[in-house]
Amino acid sequence: MQRASRLKRELQMLSTEPPPGITCWQPEDQVDELRAQIVGGDGTPYEGGLFTLEIKVPERYPFEPPNIRFLTPIYHPNIDNAGRICHDGLKLPPKGAWRPSLNISTILTSIQLLMAEPNPDDPLMADISSEFKYNKQLFVENARKWTEKHAIQKNTGSLKSQDQSSPDLKTSRKRDSVDTLEENKKKPEDAKRACL
Amino acid sequence: MEGSDGSEQSGSDQSETQRRRQLDRLDREEAFYQFVNNLSDEDYRLMRDNNLLGTPGEVTEDELLSRLQQIKDGPEPPNSSPSTETGEATGGETPGGSEDSSNGDTLLDWLNTVRRTGNTTRSGHRGNQSWRAVSQTNPNSGDFRFSLEINVNRNLAEQQAAAAAEGGQETPEAPGAPGEVAAAGVPSAAVPAAGVTAVGVTAAGVTSAAGPAAAVVPAVRGTAAGVPAAGVPAVCVIAAGVTAAGAPAAGLTAPVLLPPAVPAPPVPEAEAEPEPQAVSMEVEEVVEEPVVEELAVIVEPEPEFEDAVMQEVLPEPPIPAPTEPPVQSPPSPPQRRAQRRARSPSPEPRRTRARTARSRSPLSLERLDGLPHLRHAPRPVPAPVAPAEGSSRTRQHVPSRQSNPEYEALPAAAEAVPAAEAPSAGPPEGEAAGAEGGAGGRRPPTIMLDLQVRRVRPGEYRQRDSIANRTRSRSQNSNNTFLYESERGGFRRTFSRSERAGVRTYVSTIRIPIRRISDAGLGEATSMALQSMIRQIMTGFGELSYLMDSDSESSDSNRGAGTPAEPTETLNNPEGASAPVAEEPPVGAVSAGEARTAERDLEEGLTSGPAGREGGVGGGGGGFRARPRPPISMEEPSSLPFLRLAHFFLLNDDDEDQPQGLTKEQIDNLAMRNFGESDALKTCSVCITEYAEGNKLRKLPCSHEYHVHCIDRWLSENSTCPICRRAVLVSANRESVV
Repeated sequence: MQRASRLKRELQMLSTEPPPGITCWQPEDQVDELRAQIVGGDGTPYEGGLFTLEIKVPERYPFEPPNIRFLTPIYHPNIDNAGRICHDGLKLPPKGAWRPSLNISTILTSIQLLMAEPNPDDPLMADISSEFKYNKQLFVENARKWTEKHAIQKNTGSLKSQDQSSPDLKTSRKRDSVDTLEENKKKPEDAKRACL
Repeated sequence: MEGSDGSEQSGSDQSETQRRRQLDRLDREEAFYQFVNNLSDEDYRLMRDNNLLGTPGEVTEDELLSRLQQIKDGPEPPNSSPSTETGEATGGETPGGSEDSSNGDTLLDWLNTVRRTGNTTRSGHRGNQSWRAVSQTNPNSGDFRFSLEINVNRNLAEQQAAAAAEGGQETPEAPGAPGEVAAAGVPSAAVPAAGVTAVGVTAAGVTSAAGPAAAVVPAVRGTAAGVPAAGVPAVCVIAAGVTAAGAPAAGLTAPVLLPPAVPAPPVPEAEAEPEPQAVSMEVEEVVEEPVVEELAVIVEPEPEFEDAVMQEVLPEPPIPAPTEPPVQSPPSPPQRRAQRRARSPSPEPRRTRARTARSRSPLSLERLDGLPHLRHAPRPVPAPVAPAEGSSRTRQHVPSRQSNPEYEALPAAAEAVPAAEAPSAGPPEGEAAGAEGGAGGRRPPTIMLDLQVRRVRPGEYRQRDSIANRTRSRSQNSNNTFLYESERGGFRRTFSRSERAGVRTYVSTIRIPIRRISDAGLGEATSMALQSMIRQIMTGFGELSYLMDSDSESSDSNRGAGTPAEPTETLNNPEGASAPVAEEPPVGAVSAGEARTAERDLEEGLTSGPAGREGGVGGGGGGFRARPRPPISMEEPSSLPFLRLAHFFLLNDDDEDQPQGLTKEQIDNLAMRNFGESDALKTCSVCITEYAEGNKLRKLPCSHEYHVHCIDRWLSENSTCPICRRAVLVSANRESVV
């Protein structure tokens, strides 16, 4: 599979020259799954937060985009409760902009950018989006609260605790991800429409 | 602590094995690139077009080599060996179709050109075997249909005569048909012995290609044969009737309706025809189901043939057939249509197209109609319906033709059947038929394979997809129709069997989301699964037994008193299955009084069957699947031709069917060169691998370059440059225009 060799190279690149504020690694026992963490950008409501993402690499990668979602809850117009991200780089043309010359690193970078610059015109979360548009102060406040609640470690040693808590998060997430996935399949139009 | 250690160890072991696996993959990948780079352009194209390359790292270099060898050698065997003993007599193989070629060309060669040509009809013969293949492509919809019909005739003279008769009546196509018939003789068993293939393009193409195909079929087969063929044209059916194996193969996949028509010549005809209609309907349905891209393989064994095979199991008396069975079957098709329409107020364009296509192919339709009419007449209620259909479809011509062809066909079929599969059973039936009919009761065995690939609308199969595995079976006793559906790994398999008027029809359909085909290399699991399925179909050996079993069971049950379910059904509730459609119950009741409704129901049932499956069959267990199928090796000589066909389809549909992507021709028009050390850009951004000396690069109009195999794969589904996102197609078109 092309995926294997590409992933190998990408992981090398990610470890040797990771994009600023982003770490990505391959969990021990996973071949087609990666984990990434994005540091909330300074000056954004996510400042100080550490957001974990799950990256699933499809069989056809790089001819198909990776599947990325937030494991850490985040208050964002383009990211829904299940952590799914509305980002055209994560979709295939013609609707999306994925292409094989992109890679995990660039995609993560663009997600980082999306965090800093929400796109309220292509919302996944309508209410958050309208809040962002018409009551930005409230939005920032809410986003900060969420960040504080879910993404900020209490202490520096909490990396471990983060790791420990993530499994729970994961499982619960997965539980609703099952639901959401089903939903996804049933109403992708909605998502897409929302995304458009 | 120990526990933790253990877990750690196991974890490390796992990762170790994974690592090893990855290393292996990487090795193979390296080998792959080497292999590809050493290929000549022609070889590369050959392998790519046949999808033999798979994805890097998926197979070993040796395997690639052997594949190349095989594909190179492949085409020859089929055509080379055959001599045109009979073929000469028939000589005119050119169907009315758009493009014909000489007999000498190999089927495979032709197949390879099919895609480019769009709609093509081709026929050839050797020995007593004749084949006709029709392919149609609709560039807009991406639908692709290919049908192959092979006929084997024992008595050339008879066939020829029949053909001549047919030809005279019908038209230009007729001549081709006869030729085919004669040619068909190929007995060998090899699958194709007597096959004529007709490929119909779903949407648009039908006219030319379909027409010819249809025409051919009828001509060749006569009644019985004709039926399936007729049905086929609308869809795409490859008939692989010739060999016993072929029949079984057909059985594998899908549902087959086998009519026991054999015994009574006149009756059989009628029966056969109706059934074919049914078949065709089903096929159409398949086609109609617009959703995903599907690859449907429908094999309709000729009634006789099947009968021969089935005889042992089901000896349904031909007698009853004329009256009762015909009714059901003939009406059903129209009804189905009607129902469908009714159901889906907004019928998809494709469906419509399919219908139109059918209507367009007057020959086949006519025949069918004619047959149905005949049957209908005997029937009480159904009659009206049938006529209506007939009128709509075409006119009823040719009773005489039918008779002639039928006779001929019958004998041939009988012969073929016995020879191939059940020597003992087959012949007797044929004889019986002959005796009864007096006319000649032989039908040439015909095998029809119908492959169609079309795009499915996104979301169409969503539900289905969401359920990874589904198995469903349903039986309709009243109609003598059995439908088995199984879904596994994204493939949906339908097998249906129906018995009407003593004719049994088996239809098997496999639906494969095109994505799977295009995405997966040969080696990938999905494609492998697909391949194995197709192989099974093609070879049919495994299925045969399966079919036989089911038949015997079903037949018994039917006879018994319309027993409800076949053995397979065990898992699924028939009701549940039917429920979505809501068809069955009425049928039984209606049967007596309102043939139409009943028929409709039946049809719906058939049609709905698929729909229902899609809808989400909750019950599906896997019982159906449970039956073991013997592994079929590609190497089996008899199966080879079909396999190749299957291969062809499998491999080729991806590019064409992806509307977004470029066609192979378009891709091939892009510049290609070998990498030189002095080049500035040294890394392919698709695989993130540095170019090596001698690597083949493709240069897009925007000047961006990639590995040929990397970019080809992307462009087969997309039309923009991965780096700059400029449209490749537009510029390519300009170039071509210039």
